[in-house]
Amino acid sequence: MAQLPYIEPDEADPVTKEVYEKAEARFEMVLNIFKISGNAPEIAEKMWEIFFEILKDGQVDWKTKELLILKATKMGDCLYCVTQHEAVSSRLGISREKQADIVGVEYRDSPHYTDAEVAILDLCSHVVLDPEDIPPDVWTRVREHYDDGQIVEILTTIGAYLQVSKFGDAMGVELETAFHGHDPVLFEEEPPESPAAQEHFEHFKQHDKA
Amino acid sequence: MPATAPLDRPQTADELDEVLDRAEAYFGHLPNLVRTLASNPAMCRTVTDFLIQSLGPGRLDWGFKELIILKTLRATGSHYSYGAHERIAADLSVPEDKIGDVANSIWHTSNYFTDGERAIFALVEQIDEDANDVSDELWGELRADWDHGQLLESNAVITTFLMIGRVADALGVSDPVLFERPVEEVVAEA
Repeated sequence: MAQLPYIEPDEADPVTKEVYEKAEARFEMVLNIFKISGNAPEIAEKMWEIFFEILKDGQVDWKTKELLILKATKMGDCLYCVTQHEAVSSRLGISREKQADIVGVEYRDSPHYTDAEVAILDLCSHVVLDPEDIPPDVWTRVREHYDDGQIVEILTTIGAYLQVSKFGDAMGVELETAFHGHDPVLFEEEPPESPAAQEHFEHFKQHDKA
Repeated sequence: MPATAPLDRPQTADELDEVLDRAEAYFGHLPNLVRTLASNPAMCRTVTDFLIQSLGPGRLDWGFKELIILKTLRATGSHYSYGAHERIAADLSVPEDKIGDVANSIWHTSNYFTDGERAIFALVEQIDEDANDVSDELWGELRADWDHGQLLESNAVITTFLMIGRVADALGVSDPVLFERPVEEVVAEA
């Protein structure tokens, strides 16, 4: 259950309404995570700009960024983000098999991943676990494929999704009904480590069966 | 040495002029993090704008926000700008002992903090440990002392500095000083 109220579009102030309109234009709906941020419009306005920039082709293409988002949010056991971005990844043409191989270090030996993708997924794991101790070998492999501007985008994508996943999970933001019936990939492949996240996942699956 | 090269004008893209002007005016200089993000104008613009929004007076007292930031950096093991935030807190008249008590487990019993402040520090530690498992009991304590907007801001500050710490540490950026102008001026302008 969400711990703060969702601010619906008809009760939102003008700043929040503008954010909602932008969100709806991009994502075809106003997600609950946007609605909860309507409790502080001045924060929502700036915070979501980062995500509007990430969720499109930039110096790094959107599909590649989706791999980072799936990896970072799976490591954080975020059911909300993983479910939504499995759906987005599928729409962008990332196969179920490729998505499934993102867990653990499966991607390293997966035929679905390029060397460039393996390098940034390794980087992603280190950023999540210990960003001050990224092995030189990882940086060398990343630099073989990406320039400074792209590395900034890769790291910002990872950081932003660590941010938003914890932001939403801490407030108990619920998956929208549009995602009920979604066939989970990553958490089926590897269940959440967090007992609380496991409970949320079981509840989500039960909800789908009902 | 940072993982990507920090840029200075005129190496930066023209499209960044506006945000770099804004950051320079706000902080009194360009923080190294902003310079290091500058090789990607879209990321630099949005992160810098959000950083400016986060660092200043808000729904929560700015001095207390700085304590939340310090607690977050400490909980997540990030060293990025820790000293800078201690200095901002001190400049905002937060007593030195109070700043010191945030750093470790003393906050649990320190007389410097209210129950509401302690509840937010508990939220910081829980978010770091497992954001999926913030108890209804803790939310009850939080709601007893803070309104919805303040709680949204608390959560945003915690998770934003979790992000900033991760990105800056991965990039190898250091910002020993964030504001090279008196923070009282920033408060007065707000």
